Amino acid sequence: HPHKPDAQGGTCVWSSFAVDRGPGMTILSIYIPYFNLVKNLTSAFPNVHSISQFHQKAPAVCCCSKAQSGQKYADPFKLGWRDLKGLYEDIRKELFISTTDLKEMAEYYFDGKGKALRPIIVVLMARACNIHYNNSRDMQASQRSVALVAEMIHTASLVHDDVIDDASSRRGKHTANKLWGEKKAVLAGDLILSAASMLLARIGNIAVTTILSQVIEDLVRGEFLQLGSKENENERIAHYLEKTFNKTASLIANSCKAVSVLGCPDPVVHEIAYQYGKNVGIAFQLIDDVLDFTSCSDQMGKPTSADLKLGLATGPVLFACQQFPEMNAMIMRRFSLPGDVDRARQYVSESDGVQQTTYLAQQYCHEAVRQISKLRPSPERDALIQLSEIVLTRDK
Amino acid sequence: MSLRPVLLRLPRYFGVSGPPRRRWWWSRSLDLTSRRGQSSRSPVHWNQVVSEAEKIVGYPTSFMSLRCLLSDELSNVAMQVRKLVGTQHPLLKTVRGFVHDTRHNLQLRGLVVLLISKAAGPSRMNASCQDYDVVSGIYSCQRSLAEITELIHTALLVHRGIVDLSELQSSDGPLKDMQFGNKIAILSGDFLLANACNGLALLQNNKVVELIASALKDLVQGVYQENSTSGKENHITEHIGISTWKEHTFLTDGALLAKSCQAAMELAKHDTEVQDMAFQYGKHMAISHKINSDLQPFIKEKTSDSMTFNLNSAPVVLHQEFLGRDLWIKQIGEAQEKGRLNYAKLRETIKAGKGVTSAIDLCRYHGNKALAALESFPPSEARSALENIVFAVTRFS
Repeated sequence: HPHKPDAQGGTCVWSSFAVDRGPGMTILSIYIPYFNLVKNLTSAFPNVHSISQFHQKAPAVCCCSKAQSGQKYADPFKLGWRDLKGLYEDIRKELFISTTDLKEMAEYYFDGKGKALRPIIVVLMARACNIHYNNSRDMQASQRSVALVAEMIHTASLVHDDVIDDASSRRGKHTANKLWGEKKAVLAGDLILSAASMLLARIGNIAVTTILSQVIEDLVRGEFLQLGSKENENERIAHYLEKTFNKTASLIANSCKAVSVLGCPDPVVHEIAYQYGKNVGIAFQLIDDVLDFTSCSDQMGKPTSADLKLGLATGPVLFACQQFPEMNAMIMRRFSLPGDVDRARQYVSESDGVQQTTYLAQQYCHEAVRQISKLRPSPERDALIQLSEIVLTRDK
Repeated sequence: MSLRPVLLRLPRYFGVSGPPRRRWWWSRSLDLTSRRGQSSRSPVHWNQVVSEAEKIVGYPTSFMSLRCLLSDELSNVAMQVRKLVGTQHPLLKTVRGFVHDTRHNLQLRGLVVLLISKAAGPSRMNASCQDYDVVSGIYSCQRSLAEITELIHTALLVHRGIVDLSELQSSDGPLKDMQFGNKIAILSGDFLLANACNGLALLQNNKVVELIASALKDLVQGVYQENSTSGKENHITEHIGISTWKEHTFLTDGALLAKSCQAAMELAKHDTEVQDMAFQYGKHMAISHKINSDLQPFIKEKTSDSMTFNLNSAPVVLHQEFLGRDLWIKQIGEAQEKGRLNYAKLRETIKAGKGVTSAIDLCRYHGNKALAALESFPPSEARSALENIVFAVTRFS
């Protein structure tokens, strides 16, 4: 793991969490002086304010690209979308049923306005693995199907999450539960899941079916982890990272792995794909949690401080708590008393919780890049490297 | 690891007194010897039929797999559901139904899948199945499938109990309770579905995965439709004819059992004809079972006046068909008192018509179809048990 040596002997505000949890997940142990932290961050991303937005149609101008293969810089999204044309139409075909209003509900989120981050990663990984294995630039139909399955499983879980969180908006529009009621929304989620399973089975690869079925279980486990909480501060961060793996990273990690299994028989490559997906997934969620504090609602498509209002203590809060132990009581009661949410936000802004979370995300990204760099150079591999940086620098 | 203490604790988690009905669930001294020649006194009483059938399959079908029961998530759920005690959330009622015996035997599907697996016998394609474990003539993958079927049924049962928050009335209690209940219902249902999906993947047969996933898709549609057409007490139902009723019922009741029976055959690599017969048995048996339960309010000797019935149930739909829409609306109007439906009065009206008798006929029609499908299976005690289930379900005297 990359370490930042403590040259100036400043006070350490990071605890060491060398805990091994779950499938090969080691939480990084980092010591860094506080006053070096910000300096390191800004030197790594000198043009952090000129990075264009995450979700946009024009080619991005990213100043920190590392095109190791020497090939021309390309926008990873554009590159990925070449294979994903018709993604949403194809998903809607899978949802074809006789009950028309249920079909409409199920199709509601597949309107083409989502980020489609997961399918993009999947198709890029597919090509990167295929090229690595036998220099083949072709992508198999089954690999593209994995992209669809991933997006469907993700959406099904979002639909249920929105009911659980009583959310009113997502991606800039009303949630299904607000439009049609909770009962129907839950059934729509179930329908999407069943369609995803059918498509998965039709891919016809037992390993792939097993790998992606695991995701469904992890998603539920993540939700349960979120229901519970830990008393001990040190345990909390580990618990938070485990929840993050289950809720977000598992899907990306396992879809990358599935697509690599279809493309090449080498288990080393499968592991690389899995590790890339896992690390990018965790980083993505960490930044998502940061954005909940730092951005304002019209950029995100959903209201912010959403996590606090749901009683969830995410990265910035957990790190802030180390500086302000008075936050402990609020965390334990899940910010349920009036004024808790605002006070917590205040503490976070006065602390370095955001910076620490961002730094942690950066470490995960570095690990993702380190892994994927083991594959043979290709435009897709480089796109995946860039993607991990975009994950860090996005603002919505 | 003894399962019994866990099972006995379950009712207390859910605020229900008393242990589960079958105390001998984990008794090791089960008599597993087959009972030949007992068809001279074929049992038609429901409970008897079921307990005989369970002996034939080697052990009673379990409520949930061991893995499920021992998971953290389930004890979490149990803890959360306890918080619902005292509220009006439907989840509580659903859960209580699991630990109390009801006529709608929740283990019926699993039991039928096991019986049909046994009735079909071992795979003729020995090469593919020779590594499978066999207990009491049933492959372990088929047992797994039976469990998965129950998981899916239970998951949707739980998801059915989710409440629309915008339609709450003050009599439903605090909003907070309903929100919390919904949350737990969604998570529990998802937990069960996730276990089902994983279980399916472990079967290592993509055809079966696709088949069962399509059954789930059917079931979801069925539940959705019943949600849309169910009339509230004071509203007149949409007119659904008997053919629509049949389509709905296939989705809500027939599909899961039919496709699971078929999948059980696929697991043992039986050919498509056998698979189709299993499908037919499952489908017709499930439909006749549904009609039987729809008929209960109309054929029981003593029914309390306040007992309601579903206006979209078979006898009522058939009654409508005979009368025609206008006359039916008139009858509903006559049965309304101060804006509320007098179910007792409406029940008498329906009993006086042809709905009940034609529902009984329809039940027997499907029962006969189920029996016909069984004829292609070699005679065995498992097959007899399946026949007895049909007899019990079509018996109305």
